[in-house]
Amino acid sequence: MTPGWLLLAAGACIALGFFCAYRAPRLWLVATLGAAAAALAVSAWVLVAGEVWDWQLAVTPGGEGLRLRLDGVGAFFLALLAVIGGVCSLYAHGYWRDEDHPVSAPSGRVWWSTVWASMVLVLLSTNGLHFLVAWELFSIGVYFLITHERHKSEVRSAGWLFLAASRAGTLCLVVFFAGLATRTGSWELGPMRDRAELAPLFWLALFGFGLKAGMYPLHIWLPSAHANAPSHVSALLSGVSIKMGIYGLVRFSGWLPTPDAAGWVVAALGATSAVLGVAFALGQHDLKRLLAYHSVENIGIILIGLGFAMVASARGDEMWGKLALAGSLLHVWNHGLFKALLFLGAGSVLHSTGTREMSRLGGLWRAMPWTAGTFALGAVAIAGLPPLNGFVSEWLVYLGLFGAMSSPGPLSWAAAPAAILLCMTGALALACFVKACGVVFLGLPRSEVAARAHENGWLMRVPMLLLSLACVTIGLVPALVWPLLARVTSTWRPSWTESAAPDSLVALGGFQVALAAVSLLGAAVLWRCVKRNGLVRAVTWDCGYARPTARMQYTAGSFAAIITSWFAWILRPRRHVHPPMTPFPVRASFESHTPETILALVVQPGGLLVMRLAGAARRLQHGRLQAYVLYVLIGVVGLALLSVIGGAR
Amino acid sequence: MSLVTHVLHVCASIVIWLLLAPLIPGVINKVKAWLAGRTGPPLFQLYFDLARQWQKSVVLSTAASPGHVAGSAVAFVSLVGASLLLPVGRAGAPIAFEGDAVLFVYLLALARFSISVAALETGSAFEGMGVAREVSFAVLAEAAVITALLVLGVQTGSVSLTKMLAPAAGAGTALLAAGLYMVLLAENCRVPFDDPNTHLELTMIHEVMVLDHSGPPLAVILHGAALKLLVFCVLLTEAVVPLGGLSPWVVVATLAGAVFLTAVGVGVVESMQARLPFRRVPMLLTTAFLLCLFALMIAWERKPQ
Repeated sequence: MTPGWLLLAAGACIALGFFCAYRAPRLWLVATLGAAAAALAVSAWVLVAGEVWDWQLAVTPGGEGLRLRLDGVGAFFLALLAVIGGVCSLYAHGYWRDEDHPVSAPSGRVWWSTVWASMVLVLLSTNGLHFLVAWELFSIGVYFLITHERHKSEVRSAGWLFLAASRAGTLCLVVFFAGLATRTGSWELGPMRDRAELAPLFWLALFGFGLKAGMYPLHIWLPSAHANAPSHVSALLSGVSIKMGIYGLVRFSGWLPTPDAAGWVVAALGATSAVLGVAFALGQHDLKRLLAYHSVENIGIILIGLGFAMVASARGDEMWGKLALAGSLLHVWNHGLFKALLFLGAGSVLHSTGTREMSRLGGLWRAMPWTAGTFALGAVAIAGLPPLNGFVSEWLVYLGLFGAMSSPGPLSWAAAPAAILLCMTGALALACFVKACGVVFLGLPRSEVAARAHENGWLMRVPMLLLSLACVTIGLVPALVWPLLARVTSTWRPSWTESAAPDSLVALGGFQVALAAVSLLGAAVLWRCVKRNGLVRAVTWDCGYARPTARMQYTAGSFAAIITSWFAWILRPRRHVHPPMTPFPVRASFESHTPETILALVVQPGGLLVMRLAGAARRLQHGRLQAYVLYVLIGVVGLALLSVIGGAR
Repeated sequence: MSLVTHVLHVCASIVIWLLLAPLIPGVINKVKAWLAGRTGPPLFQLYFDLARQWQKSVVLSTAASPGHVAGSAVAFVSLVGASLLLPVGRAGAPIAFEGDAVLFVYLLALARFSISVAALETGSAFEGMGVAREVSFAVLAEAAVITALLVLGVQTGSVSLTKMLAPAAGAGTALLAAGLYMVLLAENCRVPFDDPNTHLELTMIHEVMVLDHSGPPLAVILHGAALKLLVFCVLLTEAVVPLGGLSPWVVVATLAGAVFLTAVGVGVVESMQARLPFRRVPMLLTTAFLLCLFALMIAWERKPQ
């Protein structure tokens, strides 16, 4: 079977999904999984065989020839969509059931299929107009996915914010594609790196796609949208949807010439996103909001790699440029895998306890061992620790940065801060996930709902296990994915040759396998030894206090307090303190939360200003005829003056 | 090198590292006792402690999962892994490849992660405090370590510790040594960052994280801590002294002497100085980071263009 037939099969499966979304949820699931399998097969075909699939419709609807094309870059993102999309559909079947959500579950399935189809179209289209149409459909579909629970006001406002932000992004993309079309004379897209006059358009693409990707400071819509969407949707949004922004940047930095400063700007924005994303994550008390901010961080890591690859390409440094780009691309996959895993884990917690508030959770490992185990694995992966996949991609980016360090000129001055910030990001992410794992899953239950938690069904556990398996596989055998990465790098920059996996990557894989095996073995031996020596259970040591309670445990807020105080200049945490006042204090409380600074201090005041100006302008329209006659008179006089002045010239 | 000799090299290195590590805390304690005019515990006290802990039964918190025990094992294994990346003598490190310097930093991070998660298993407020401090201060310490590695990377054009540590750190050696020494004190929870002898849970970092460990898991944690101290001593020595071209015996003698001197230095600092208040710890760590950063600037200045 050729890629064309497979894509047709995927399309047929999605179409079938549309038909049976309302009536037959099981058939819908089968159809969606079929579409995922077909899409995965197509991308494997293109990535492994290295063939580009190109297909053109004979007739030209609307004057624009319909041409679909799938090359290495598109196939790489299509594979991510297929895997995450398929796994999340399976999870959705157990998580958002028709019995519990009779209205939103069927309509959610329709929009899920819409988003699926439009993302595939975005990846396939080679025409600016078609790209925009698919992109719009994708954004609108995502809006309806986010607002599954429209009866809640915070969900509505999150959806509204997303819609407004994606409008702004699309506006930029319309200008971008229109500018491209006017300069080239056609809406057709394709490699045109020799036309230097197209370079400034990159800034528009950076805004439009960067907004979709959630790059700091354009991430304002992301935390609330990802936190308020149902968890299978959050996983898809965080795992795949924001990567469409990265796809746009990779695609158009590969096809179009870029300004000289572009790589530097992308890398600088990446470093900012990475550090500030994780800093904001540390300030959160809502588990899903915390995970959402980590998307900003990981997009930052991806952009650091992409930015340095762009710089390398401009300078002709193939050796380390390839490593930086490969690291960045692998992080696209890795982040998709472990972030989807973590969101599904958070969804399981939410499903079981009904709360996302970390200060009400705790001790869930006992009731939910599968969720706790897979979440912990995801935490190790996202903190970039060996022996899992997150480390491999960050390691490749580091190798790129060290390579940039040893090249002459100002580049090494930029690579060192990037490496240091990347390392600090890793340490901050570690702190944040120690907090998340510890507060949610370890210790004692902090509330009644946490104490009554239960493990979820297999339909929700299997997706998490599959994603964990993928994380472990990429971590232990990184040389396996190198040929695919090499294919994409050479598609991005055809002058870069495809090389075999570097020896060091193979050696790293061997080390990771040994580390994982010896760690498991060591843990088993130690546990046996503990059992042999005798094991006594006793109350936790609390300074001699014999009756510790769950409320005495360290909270998420206090845990992060040291680091959030370092970042108080940007986090601006709000505190509501009612200290115990009288000799016999009746009531005392302390509350703190970290608002979204850019939204609260830049966007909202800006919006208010616009509203106020509009309100002022509205006073002109009041229904008094005399005043309207006056306006007409002023207008006529103005025109007369204008013509007199113009005539004099 | 054939596979057999390679495996032998790895095994021999593990044995030597593990056998020597508990000696360093012994030396430090002897120095502290000597300066205070006491006899102090025997030099081999930690060996005796470890042997006894391995025999003991375990008291485990009712809140803890089996992960509590697994965490200490993973931390120990990752520290052993980190020690295998450090070169000793002409044979180089048992495991060396381009990029292992980054792996070294992240193995230390993995050890920190697993100890921290194991500590949170108990749900103790004190251990929560200790973990919060550990992971927060580590952000700055890790920044200093990666900067030190960047210095060595700029000088040698390599990302493999075996090549990076062969020559000395060049003109910025003194700055780098000072920075790394401060990181050594912080990462191993010595005065002025933490006091290993304190008995007040509120004021500790590392010791408070292992309050609920006992028996073999505690032995593994103590052994791992000693190993980490030795790893940092060796890293500091090799960054400062050009051991690359010397003959094996000279290397061993130099390393032994320098590690001994470092341990004595730690003991002297501990005897002369009090622990800093916690709010000043970040400033001291930032100083360490800045020292490494200045060393990086000097390395750039001298870099062959």
